[in-house]
Amino acid sequence: MSQSYDRGLIEDFGRWREFSAGMWAWIFHKFTGWVLIGYLFTHIAVLSTALTSASADPAAVAANQDLYTQTIRTLESLLVVRILEVGLLAVAVFHILNGTRLLLVDLGIGLGSQDRSFYASLILTGAIVVASIPTFLAGVSL
Amino acid sequence: MAERYSSFTAGGRLWLWQRITAAFLIVVLAFHFFLLHFVHHADEVTFAMSAGRMETWSYYSLMILFLVTATFHGVNGVYNALINAGLTGAKRQAVKVVLGAASLLLLVQGFRTANAWAGIDLLPIL
Amino acid sequence: MSTQRQQPETETESTETETAQDRRLEKKRQRAAERERARVEAEERAAADAERYHLKVFRYDPEVEGKQEPRFDDFHVPYEPGMTVLDALIYARDQFDASLTFRHSCRQAICGSDALFVNGRQRLGCQTQLSDLEQPVRIEPLPHSEVVKDLVVDMEHFYDQMESVEPYFQTEDRPDGELEEQRQSRENREKIKKSTRCIWCGACMSSCNIAAGDNEYLGPAAINKAYRFAMDEREGADMKQRRLEIIEQEHGVWRCQTQFSCTEVCPKDIPLTEHIQELKREAVKSNLKFW
Repeated sequence: MSQSYDRGLIEDFGRWREFSAGMWAWIFHKFTGWVLIGYLFTHIAVLSTALTSASADPAAVAANQDLYTQTIRTLESLLVVRILEVGLLAVAVFHILNGTRLLLVDLGIGLGSQDRSFYASLILTGAIVVASIPTFLAGVSL
Repeated sequence: MAERYSSFTAGGRLWLWQRITAAFLIVVLAFHFFLLHFVHHADEVTFAMSAGRMETWSYYSLMILFLVTATFHGVNGVYNALINAGLTGAKRQAVKVVLGAASLLLLVQGFRTANAWAGIDLLPIL
Repeated sequence: MSTQRQQPETETESTETETAQDRRLEKKRQRAAERERARVEAEERAAADAERYHLKVFRYDPEVEGKQEPRFDDFHVPYEPGMTVLDALIYARDQFDASLTFRHSCRQAICGSDALFVNGRQRLGCQTQLSDLEQPVRIEPLPHSEVVKDLVVDMEHFYDQMESVEPYFQTEDRPDGELEEQRQSRENREKIKKSTRCIWCGACMSSCNIAAGDNEYLGPAAINKAYRFAMDEREGADMKQRRLEIIEQEHGVWRCQTQFSCTEVCPKDIPLTEHIQELKREAVKSNLKFW
């Protein structure tokens, strides 16, 4: 009785050069999805500082010295956070654009040009991100 | 292969809701980004401004809906990605429990935060 | 007229009995022998000069020591115009290594036996021209399946998934009159025409990442088969509903993430993703009706 050779999944990602457009779309959509869900949790955690602020001294709130305002402002003053935000924009925009492509595919539209629509999503993501960098980096000390 | 024949198969429902929430999120997430980075700038955020927005019923309910759909879409997405990667049996049940708990945590904390801004006091802890 | 040389009885007699005719015949034979030699030499030269295609073929044999660790063997196969990957493999097996093992049968892309992973893509060996490929041509067994030997993979899982969708015509609706045919309109035939082309080669399932990860996923070929019958109007609405119920389970159509790899590699150009998508929409519609 001969055994068989189970090559497993490991062979897959070593062959990334052979990936087709549809496969890249699937990989990027998964990757951006994980990033976004991770972000969602951290975002709610950061925003929760508002709970402290809500029960804080109203004078402090009026003077923008409450925990929530301070936390956000401190974070936004860091260059690395600004850069991460640009990254977040890229991830979210790609996920939205490719997601739209997938919705159209689910409705039976554009199946023949699915690889071109993927490239279009990539290019559009790049364009939007580049166009937004000035706004995102405004007011931070480099 | 065929475990149960039912018109109400979970697979179909989840698939559909993932798409419906996706369509909703495309619009609302784009709006959220736009409002908080382009209309206002992220470094100008204050508690007072956030509260000001949250005190309007329309914005408040939109944000609650945003929270619920985003949590569903994200957690369902993660769950499906894991099934596609071959998650089965006891591990799958464990993952379901963990994801369910995480979702609940997210929803409750988000809801409390929204109420903090809006000045709503439902219960001492909510 | 016989060209056979007359056998002389003794040596001394031969020179005396040699006639003009014998001499002429001898010359003729010599010329023929020379031509033959020249022809063989030219052929050998041509074969030596011929463009040779460099193949790298995956080898593995659990029963032979020395082949239990998978490796790649190099074959340099002389090229002839129109040569396919299958031709090259057959040449290599016949001339170089008789232990090279691979499935093949019809060599005209209809039996589905020789699906291989050639230069990183699922293709039928008999349908792939060597001249279309970059050298060295890497030939491997289909990915995501267990290798039995060399280029032969275990197809049982594929067949199990195909069989689970009941890939045969079934209906309770009989036409009136015992000898009446079960008629199908032209439009209906056109609709399912592409889905009938499946040759069970397994290329699509091998290209799908979800089929690779999730063992229970039916796979594009099985779902396409279900489509072929679910959309066949001769089977009736009840049967269609039953077929939909099989494929709308958790590891049926819902696992498809529209990666499109199946559609790209199908050697019969079946729009697999499109069929799967249509079944998803059908399933959603039929479930919504219950409200």
